Amino acid sequence: MQDHIASLLDGESCHAEIRAQTTEEVKISVVGGNLVANASSETGGVCARVYQNGSWGFASCADYNQESVCSVLKEAKDNAAFLDNRLKKGKEGLPGTAPYHEKLETLPPPIPRKCYIDFAMELDGYIAKTYPKLTGRRVVAVAEKFEKLLYTTSGTQAHTVAPRVYVYVFLSAETKDGETLELFEVLDGGHGYFPDYFTSTEKYYGIIDKLYHELMDKTEGIFPQAGTADVILAPSLSGMLAHEAVGHTVEADMVTGGSVAGYNLGKQVASPLVNMVDFAHTALGKPTPLPILVDDEGTACEDEVLIRDGILVGYMNNLESSVRYQMKPRGNARAFAFSDEPLIRMRNTAILPGKDKLEDMIASIDNGYFLTRTGNGQADTTGEFMFGINMGYEIKNGKLGKALRDTTISGVAFDMLKTVTMLSDELVWESSGYCGKKQPMPVGIGGPAVKCKVSIGGQ
Amino acid sequence: MTDLKEIASYALKALKDAGADDAQCVVARGRTRELTVDGGEISLIRTLLENQVSFKAIKDGKKGTITINQFGKEQINQAAHDCIEAANAGVVDDAVCIAQLTENKDFVTGAQKEDADGLFDRVKEYLQQVKTDYPKIILEQVIAEYSESDSILINSNGVCQRVKHGGYYFNSMFSAHEGENATSFNYCDAQFNDLSRPLLNIGMQRELLLRSQMELEAKRLPEKFTGKILVAPICLLDLIGMALGNFISDTSLIDGTSPWKNRLGSKVADEKLTISMSPLDERMAGGERITNDGYISENYDIIKNGVLMDFGLSEYAAKKTGNKRGPNSSGCMVIAPGKTALADLIRSIDKGLLVYRFSGGQPAINGDFSGVAKNSFYIENGEIKHAVTETMISGNLSSMINQVVALSSETVEDGASSLPYALFDGITVSC
Repeated sequence: MQDHIASLLDGESCHAEIRAQTTEEVKISVVGGNLVANASSETGGVCARVYQNGSWGFASCADYNQESVCSVLKEAKDNAAFLDNRLKKGKEGLPGTAPYHEKLETLPPPIPRKCYIDFAMELDGYIAKTYPKLTGRRVVAVAEKFEKLLYTTSGTQAHTVAPRVYVYVFLSAETKDGETLELFEVLDGGHGYFPDYFTSTEKYYGIIDKLYHELMDKTEGIFPQAGTADVILAPSLSGMLAHEAVGHTVEADMVTGGSVAGYNLGKQVASPLVNMVDFAHTALGKPTPLPILVDDEGTACEDEVLIRDGILVGYMNNLESSVRYQMKPRGNARAFAFSDEPLIRMRNTAILPGKDKLEDMIASIDNGYFLTRTGNGQADTTGEFMFGINMGYEIKNGKLGKALRDTTISGVAFDMLKTVTMLSDELVWESSGYCGKKQPMPVGIGGPAVKCKVSIGGQ
Repeated sequence: MTDLKEIASYALKALKDAGADDAQCVVARGRTRELTVDGGEISLIRTLLENQVSFKAIKDGKKGTITINQFGKEQINQAAHDCIEAANAGVVDDAVCIAQLTENKDFVTGAQKEDADGLFDRVKEYLQQVKTDYPKIILEQVIAEYSESDSILINSNGVCQRVKHGGYYFNSMFSAHEGENATSFNYCDAQFNDLSRPLLNIGMQRELLLRSQMELEAKRLPEKFTGKILVAPICLLDLIGMALGNFISDTSLIDGTSPWKNRLGSKVADEKLTISMSPLDERMAGGERITNDGYISENYDIIKNGVLMDFGLSEYAAKKTGNKRGPNSSGCMVIAPGKTALADLIRSIDKGLLVYRFSGGQPAINGDFSGVAKNSFYIENGEIKHAVTETMISGNLSSMINQVVALSSETVEDGASSLPYALFDGITVSC
């Protein structure tokens, strides 16, 4: 990416950002042996955002050259002035941040489309041959790459690239009654490029075999008893809990919008066992699944501790909200596409592990459920949350019993977190999904297995 | 190149020159101006200038697609070359195709001129009216925008369709607050082509804002029951959308998991239910004039009096499964209203739940679903008693649409759908 931006912000008196960006995406989808999606896109452009006395102006354009950069900067200023003239908020300027500098190393060459297709078709072939009784199968490979060149009036000059890649497998089978059930698994992936992870399909046969056997369990599964239950949430669910049920409520713009976190800062909102952090690029000495070095306002990224020993201690901020809440901005302002403005977003949000062993946690429940897979989740500004549960097992007298059919769990985060009595000693990350909040956004979610009480749907 | 038709012709030629047997390009240019309200305060204006060139090539029975957003000859040539490479890497599939030439048309729809000051004034008016009429409401986020687009779909069979559209879009997300007491958020969307009405009067906003304030007095559901739920139009769109996504989507028909795969022409729902996709309906602000495949859009019934009439498939899925393609790809859902007034529907319910929003997991392929009934109210002895907290509903989507008790005579239009209230039986409601 060429630099058409340097020095254009020199002398600007208001906070301003200019960001050039390209986004590359590949999607391969094999449904029942048919290559139904063989698609890619490469989009890019430039945007500018300007802050004037409490009003923001933004503009973007798909063309990226010196002329278009000047044009979007002018349009962003005009938009800020349009609002400022009418609203006259008269707010002071935003605080400056320490300049951040990042230069991009050489990028690897593009990955041929054939690599993705051959891999997906080979996996599909294995599934078709090994498990002919399946009623449906899908293999999906996706790759994304976000390259950004950012300049801000605080002096940040950052040229970054964030690639990620995943392969998903979906299997479906019929119950004895002829009803079709489905399970899916993210085989592998994360930050990086296709060859970083997917060198051999054989490496994943074991995961597919396990998925198949779980699906068979599910075809003979039962519906849970609706109501409040003692449960163990597997790590993938506790990561979802960290993100959906707590994370969104402590985004400062959601606090301004009336979220439950607004009147709980400094209060006990969870069991003292619970600690929760939005990590930037390193967690417990290891890289996070989606490391973020600098945000799209030019703030260098640091970890944000949200819950310490059960007490709510922080919000995630952008520059503007950091003034309102008198907190340090730690790099949570993120934009998805070149035409998107930065919003307060999570990065790699996790409940920290405890000291318990999963086996002991299961053994501690007389009558409850071990919930192992989730497909999606939603949360409310009140902290009410809902997760779809795709797989789980009942627990009877400390032992795993029958598999569960699809169901849903729900609760109120700051009530539910107070019921946490055990945390396993492992931190497991997932990063294949998107967070949705006006714009999509890749995020990492993580956690240990959690013992708690939730409402569970039944039939 | 700046002329859209010239760009489209150039892109199509580039694909053919690169080796495509059959080629299709979609070239579009758009402009959006958007006003954002955060935490009740107007905060941002955005201007977005967007381009798009989508290529689809079929070579030796194999398909490749690629999308870029640059109009330069060099980028178009490169993308055309990459598209052929993608096709070469694919697998032979007899069902891949491009649209046949039937009739070419140019369409101009919606509002062709932006009224920026008018939209700003309407948003300011909206904020003031909400503050005055619904004082306990906090507007978490409001987005109001005008967007215009010009799009051409051209292919090597001689198809050349063009649509110019302009229109307004509005979205409001809100909750009610009183001290530390707060309700679940709710939201509404609307599309429209002029600014003649206050934004607050569009769709079912007033009802939703009023109900949101009433939720401050929410109580627990008295007891679990299996019975009736009255689904508000805004939620009906989600539930029926989930059912159709499960039972008649391209994917579920191609992989054979749809329980309706052999039910075309058969009764799949209560006879009171008629569901249409109607982008040409005058109540649709935007609608659709050209399908994703490149055919001129037509209205059609998915379910008529309970009978499955059409799967609404893409041309590829239609060929793949031996069915016919859907006459449009708009998602502009119209459900025929019933004959009972909403007030009478409520009066007919001994025990039930009025549901305004469903927050649930992806339903199982067979239609089993469960989730939280958000912004919902307990009905007893024909009266709305109170809002409920932490209440779940579960059932099966196929069973649900076979147990339609009644549909309201009133409908709600939001510029993209027209839907009544629907009373279903056989749903488990638990707390």
